[in-house]
Amino acid sequence: MALWVDKYRPRELSKLDFHKEQAENLRSLCKQSDFPHLMFYGPSGAGKKTRIMCLLREMYGAGVERLRSETMTFTTPSNRKIEVMTVSSNYHLEVNPSDAGMYDRTVVIDLIKQVAQTHQIEISGQREFKVIVISEGDELTKDAQHALRRTMEKYVATCRIIISVNSTSRIIPAIRSRCLGIRVAAPNETEIVSILQSTCKREGLALPVELAKRVVDKSERNLRRALLMLEAAKVAKAPFTANQEIPDLDWQVFLRETASQIISEQTPNKLEKIRERLYELLTQGVPPNLIFRGLVEQLVNKCDMSIKAKTLEFATEYEHRMQTGAKHIFHLEAFVAQFMNIYKKFLSELIMTDDF
Amino acid sequence: MSARKKTWVRCAFSEMNMTASPVPLEATPAKRTRSSGNVSTRISRSQSGKSTPTQIQEVESVDLTALEDDQDADSTGPPPEVKANWMERFAPATSEELAVHPKKIGELRDWLRHCEAVQKKFPAQMCLLTGPTGAGKTATLRVLANEFGFQVQEWINPVDCEVVNALGDQPSGCSYVGSHLEAFKSFLLRASRYKSLLDSHNKRLLLVEDFPNVLLSDKEANFEELLDEYSNYGKSPLVFIVADAKSRGLNISYRLFPDQLKAKHRIEHISFNCIASTIMQKAMKAFCSVMQQPQNKSTYKIPSSSVVDSIVVGAQGDIRNALINLHLSSLKGVASMPTKQLNVSVVTKGRKKKTQSTLKSIGRDESITLMHALGRVLNPKFNEDKRVLHSPEEITEAFNTEPRNFVNFIHANYLPHFKNIEDVVAAINDLGLSDAMLDEYRDNSLPTMGLNIAIRGVMLANSSPVSGWMPVRGPKRINIQSQATLAEQRLVGVGYSGISKSLYATEYSSFVKCIAGKLSDSHSSQSTDSI
Repeated sequence: MALWVDKYRPRELSKLDFHKEQAENLRSLCKQSDFPHLMFYGPSGAGKKTRIMCLLREMYGAGVERLRSETMTFTTPSNRKIEVMTVSSNYHLEVNPSDAGMYDRTVVIDLIKQVAQTHQIEISGQREFKVIVISEGDELTKDAQHALRRTMEKYVATCRIIISVNSTSRIIPAIRSRCLGIRVAAPNETEIVSILQSTCKREGLALPVELAKRVVDKSERNLRRALLMLEAAKVAKAPFTANQEIPDLDWQVFLRETASQIISEQTPNKLEKIRERLYELLTQGVPPNLIFRGLVEQLVNKCDMSIKAKTLEFATEYEHRMQTGAKHIFHLEAFVAQFMNIYKKFLSELIMTDDF
Repeated sequence: MSARKKTWVRCAFSEMNMTASPVPLEATPAKRTRSSGNVSTRISRSQSGKSTPTQIQEVESVDLTALEDDQDADSTGPPPEVKANWMERFAPATSEELAVHPKKIGELRDWLRHCEAVQKKFPAQMCLLTGPTGAGKTATLRVLANEFGFQVQEWINPVDCEVVNALGDQPSGCSYVGSHLEAFKSFLLRASRYKSLLDSHNKRLLLVEDFPNVLLSDKEANFEELLDEYSNYGKSPLVFIVADAKSRGLNISYRLFPDQLKAKHRIEHISFNCIASTIMQKAMKAFCSVMQQPQNKSTYKIPSSSVVDSIVVGAQGDIRNALINLHLSSLKGVASMPTKQLNVSVVTKGRKKKTQSTLKSIGRDESITLMHALGRVLNPKFNEDKRVLHSPEEITEAFNTEPRNFVNFIHANYLPHFKNIEDVVAAINDLGLSDAMLDEYRDNSLPTMGLNIAIRGVMLANSSPVSGWMPVRGPKRINIQSQATLAEQRLVGVGYSGISKSLYATEYSSFVKCIAGKLSDSHSSQSTDSI
């Protein structure tokens, strides 16, 4: 049994639920014999991966859906072994180099070499190149991106690269210019509602419109999240009711608690405890920019109007630094400390004015 | 040209010995050991062959200094020119002149006495001398060996071995490794057994200071086998000299001589300490008196006492380094020599630095440990006029090579020292800034600046430090572990491998846990139903 997200994922370009015009463009792109490197960009849960898979199917036929997962081992120059999980078919290979952390450069180079140095054996009726799908390309280090740029050019005869990224801003211009960019915007609310409802129909469930709207609200226009949320809600309570409880993402709950702890006490001691909590989130694998955003949202919601502007000002400063730096915890901690400071000052002023 | 080169090479190897001649001659056979007996003669012949008649004067002066007393060589040589082997003039000749603590000398002497006592029965005694660089390990051994009448034969890593082997047609990789080890082995076994044709000493003592690289590359087993063999067949005492290294990976005494090996072969382990500053002072005086000897007077002037003091402080127990500094700072510049400028500048630098601080005057890098430096950063001391006692620059300089590591350590430990959140803000702000700077690779000076900012920030931010004992914690490494259980993975299906850990954690994890949990519940209830 598969998750709804996978079960009802459109397999063909013609069956996509939204951005139909773009799907048509992609189909005509496939008809040409030549095919550029592609870069799909758009927010998480907008359907980038779905479109990539549809595109591959359009090119290679149903064979691309026979997937197998494989763990590949790479050896870094410093003799360290890295294992990276890949999903592949006979025609393509999907990899997440960001899991290799700072060693992603080795992964990118070796992987592409391995794939690209073997030609397709039977080219009758098929493309003469393989496709490498790199998901979360914006997590690649600069080093890896520069390595990628070179290999992209070198092996262009035997392989094409499709990069899926959330934001192009973290991709170096050299790669951006080598790829055909395709923007996949997040679906709007009515689209998500209709998808949720059609999914429920195929599952034989009735979905109240209010519930669907609440799920959409909570999912922040992230279709994958919406579907997972709905399925989790279904597991919790089988026939849907309009005001049933929708499960939360547990890291968001965790962040909410963290924010209220920050509000409750502003001492270095507390900051240390907050740091532990942030570490916990990071080790779970929640990306630091999401943590930062969640934290800022929660704190701004909870604090007084007069210090909101200042909080946001500091948030922007530290968030920017976090992107340039390497140790995310420094900047998260700096923001929390700064907020504690502002909040503490605010509280003491409040007491002063009360006295007068 | 060749003769000049040779003098230089020769001196570098026989740096600390006083009766030098046989040793280099012995050392060279070790380099090319095939059959040690006739090689030494061959070498000596080749040397005489090389020196052309016109160069005889020079060659002679080199060999003479080695063979005869230093004084003769000095009187013949042009006085202002610094002989390359000037260090030998200062080398200790008797155990009284050694700047090592008498207790350590006593230990080594006891061991040598023991060697002599059991020479008939167990000739292959082994000893391991460890200690920081310049603690006088080699000098002590040479002096005492001389005293006991041992002929020291030293192993020097051959440089030419691989060239010979690479010319062969067999795969060069393995043959190189084998030959290097074999050369070492045959040195150990043969040199301990057969005496050189040229020397009259009867007792030999093998010295290994230069470990073949093969032994260091994670093959400790080899070394153990070697020692086994040596303890069975060796005929003379064997001494290993190992300088302490800070990191464990580089520490030969730690890697090559595990405790069980030491116990197995009864290896006597004598660890030397840094030379105490009082002893060093005394040694400096002795050196100065050597400088005042008539044959040296033309070369040296007597350095002022402040310079000597700063040298002693700067050397940090490294007598070799202290001697080099003393030599440089007391040389009389000669007009024609281009080194004059350099020497003078070194002296002034030494003086200047000394006035700045006594911690780092000249010479050796100050090496403070990480913990030490952390303490200075987290609990800064201030002197009367409210300035920090240990300047941030000093600490920065000490950790220039690994700024990232040090900043991480500061970050992991600074919080418990703070009482006010305002101070924390200032500190973490600087730490963050330094993190951003450390990641910038386009400018070489930025890492240093970043480290400096971090150190300054934390040192100066804390207006009311918390006192008390705080254990030092290491920086945390973030290893993202995927927590998906097998059932959850199966639920997600083949696509699971394509989802990155972070995406799984943010989007899938919590919902999939829900769904999978419910599924397993229903499965178990179904199975109970069926029962």
